[in-house]
Amino acid sequence: MALVIYYVLFGITVLFALGVLFNRNTVRSAICLVGVMAALAVNYLIMRQEFVAFIQIVVYTGAIMVLFLFVIMLLNLREPEVMPWYLRKARFWGGALSLVFFFTLALAVQVWTVSGVTPGAIENEAFIKESGTPEVILLSTLMITKYVAPFILTSILLLVAVIGAIVMAKRYDEDGQEIISEEEVS
Amino acid sequence: MGESIFEANLILSLFLFTVGILGVMWKRNAISLFMSVELMLNAANLAFVTFAFQHGIIDGGILVLFIMTVAAAEAGVGLAIFIALFRVRRHLRVDEHDMLHG
Repeated sequence: MALVIYYVLFGITVLFALGVLFNRNTVRSAICLVGVMAALAVNYLIMRQEFVAFIQIVVYTGAIMVLFLFVIMLLNLREPEVMPWYLRKARFWGGALSLVFFFTLALAVQVWTVSGVTPGAIENEAFIKESGTPEVILLSTLMITKYVAPFILTSILLLVAVIGAIVMAKRYDEDGQEIISEEEVS
Repeated sequence: MGESIFEANLILSLFLFTVGILGVMWKRNAISLFMSVELMLNAANLAFVTFAFQHGIIDGGILVLFIMTVAAAEAGVGLAIFIALFRVRRHLRVDEHDMLHG
């Protein structure tokens, strides 16, 4: 039964991903991407990574995709319909190379995946079951011990990104002076 | 159940990544391109979580959190760049933005 649910989820994810690829309307494409992310969150839940699933919903579908939709709304974009000849050639070769990539790696997955449970899995499973420690506690403990340096670097990255976004979004007039008033110039 | 979804999840991750690559190659709109990149990041996240689940190591989840942070920062700065670009050129067709073309 659980496996049936999993494969239904698999199908939903694949369909939404194809929707992202083949929709010409950017808004529909973004909605399909939201679907992919929600389906992936359910997938994480199946793999008992509750915290990651929660963050997936909150950060990806809640923050990033809403940002995307805002920008699409502001800019009113569409995929252009006419295609120059050089792009048609690029599309063909791009598609062919992607298919080669996919089948090569799929073959690698089939051949080289080590089936069977590794010893670490059993220990960890037993540890989680015995101590009853939720996944959040394990994650947060790791984050402030083993991964404390990347954690701090991430906070710096976020700060830089915020400042960068503000600087990029500012408007300047001809003299390089910053435009502060909200009158629309276009 | 754990073992049976392992390979399927890897294939799913691979599929999402390929769709992301195809999107980057085929789409001409900068925002569609960016969404394809997000799809590829999600595929990498799925692979991380799958391996973490299979091997019973929690570290994969932490890497996923870091990837999400980077994706969020990337989306913020990238979309700001697109808005600034749109203000100058009035379109976002990536193949026609060749200001750096020699």
